[in-house]
Amino acid sequence: METTALAQSVLNGLALSGIYILIALGLTLVMSIMGIVQVAHGEIYMIGAYSVYYVVAVLGGNFFLGIVVSTLFVGGLGVLLERLCFRPFRGRADRAFTISIALILILQNVVLALAGGNPRSFSSPFSGVVHLLGVAISWKRLVIVLVGLGLLVGLFLFIKLTRTGQAMLAISQEREGAALQGMNIDRVSATAMFLGCGLAAVAGGFIGSLFSISPTMGSFALMKGIAVIILGGLGSIPGAVVGGLILGLVDGVLPALTTTHIAGLVGFAAIIMILIFRPQGIGGHEG
Amino acid sequence: MIPSLAGIVTICLCVLPLLLSGPYYVHVFILTMVNIVLASSLRLINLSGQMSLAHGGMMTIGAYTSALLVMKAGLSFWVAMPISGLCTALIAYVVGYPFVRLKGIYFSIVTIFFSEVVVLTAQQWQSLTGGAAGIFGIPRPNPVSLFGILHVDFSSKVEFYYLALALMLISLIILYAVEKSRIGMVLRGVQQADSLAESVGIDTTGFKVLAFTVGSFFPGVLGAFYSHYISAVNPDAFSFLFTIYILIYMTVGGEKGFFGPVLGAAVLTILPEVSRPLKAFEPFVFAAVLIAVIFFVPEGMAGIPQMVRRVKTAHEKGAADA
Repeated sequence: METTALAQSVLNGLALSGIYILIALGLTLVMSIMGIVQVAHGEIYMIGAYSVYYVVAVLGGNFFLGIVVSTLFVGGLGVLLERLCFRPFRGRADRAFTISIALILILQNVVLALAGGNPRSFSSPFSGVVHLLGVAISWKRLVIVLVGLGLLVGLFLFIKLTRTGQAMLAISQEREGAALQGMNIDRVSATAMFLGCGLAAVAGGFIGSLFSISPTMGSFALMKGIAVIILGGLGSIPGAVVGGLILGLVDGVLPALTTTHIAGLVGFAAIIMILIFRPQGIGGHEG
Repeated sequence: MIPSLAGIVTICLCVLPLLLSGPYYVHVFILTMVNIVLASSLRLINLSGQMSLAHGGMMTIGAYTSALLVMKAGLSFWVAMPISGLCTALIAYVVGYPFVRLKGIYFSIVTIFFSEVVVLTAQQWQSLTGGAAGIFGIPRPNPVSLFGILHVDFSSKVEFYYLALALMLISLIILYAVEKSRIGMVLRGVQQADSLAESVGIDTTGFKVLAFTVGSFFPGVLGAFYSHYISAVNPDAFSFLFTIYILIYMTVGGEKGFFGPVLGAAVLTILPEVSRPLKAFEPFVFAAVLIAVIFFVPEGMAGIPQMVRRVKTAHEKGAADA
């Protein structure tokens, strides 16, 4: 493959990385605070994309307004789900897992009933290309990388600097101990769910500016999100970042070298291998 | 009580095709029986404390194996079907050892990925599997002559109905025997206290793999049956949604008792066919029912009579105390 073509697919891969990282961060946040694998996270991301679509294409609003509305709406939905569906099953991970499987079908079908099954698309304020070192990259993709980076820094600062962020860290390490120290697990769980779902909504909104959206778009995102957190180590934020970078680049470059099916196969096989031989991933710890 | 009840139901099922009007309802009952075996075999894996979400993938493996053995190797369906089951079980056995090292939800996740690998392989390996379009024109099972008088050539759905009935009865008998045997008892022990079972010298890994292997044999056989029944198979035939449905049949019916999944699969397959509006919103309704069951009837439909009895006794006791 030519160097420019390779550089092009690397840059496209970086934009994918941005999306994957946003999804994986939300998943890993929910997973480490609430102890559940929230498999309806892909549907949360899908609803985020549809919320932006409604604000931008139906109501004629601004794209950024759409992202903000979508983040708040989907974050609120996440808080509601935590309260109604997951809190009653804290400590029963298998039950919570089955509930989140049921939520996949419910959320998908609600959107299907409201918006129909046809793929939708909306315009984004970004257009044109930037030339970087002789390679053209579209503004749309570059913005995703930048937004992903910004949110990542924001999340990092939130965890490092705020009381709630520190409580999150504590709860993810030792739930009972944190509760004994007087931390309010209910409130921190709700916050984690709000942040996790909000991040997914942003990812959904930005993917909607690149590709068309449909009610079933979530399963792809979920698979990628889970793959990233397994690769990076469950519950590890730096791990999710590194994992997202690697997987995004692999998904950007590999399909250009072989077929998409082979690229998918290699990805899944690698994840199965990691789960089996290094379950703690790149950045995670045992246990 | 159970043997006589099972006998009565079996006799009813034997004469049922005579009463059904039209091939459509025969088809619904064939689907029901397939789903019953799938949900019951999923429960066997569940007995060892692990929730497999690979049933769709296993069924795909069985379906392709049988179709290829019959169409490319020229084997008889009656040989290819059991071989498909065994092949599927062998694959489950091989991947089982690494998979069962993962606990709880991580086992479920790796089985989802496994199913994805199966689908992608079927899509990619075009020379063998026909790629995304799949294989069609899979021949009907070879004609057989029963007791020298009854000639069965599988030209109508009713003949497939009896084959499905036979497969279901044999499968349920095997699954029941496994559960009531020592193996079933050990599996329950592993489910309830993994490390305790290990500490008294039980090879927990071996038993988990055994449950995964035996539990995957049945979707392999049923996949073979199904591909010859509808005469086609493609990579997406048994998707993630299909697997979730099996999980829903099992959980809604009740995973505690042997007949829970049977009940769940029967009710949830037949009910949407009777009520059209239900069919239109099937995934939504199924998911809502699943959530309702998890919240209010954790033991499933099969546990309802017991629950009612318990509430009644508590009520009477309360009245007596007052």
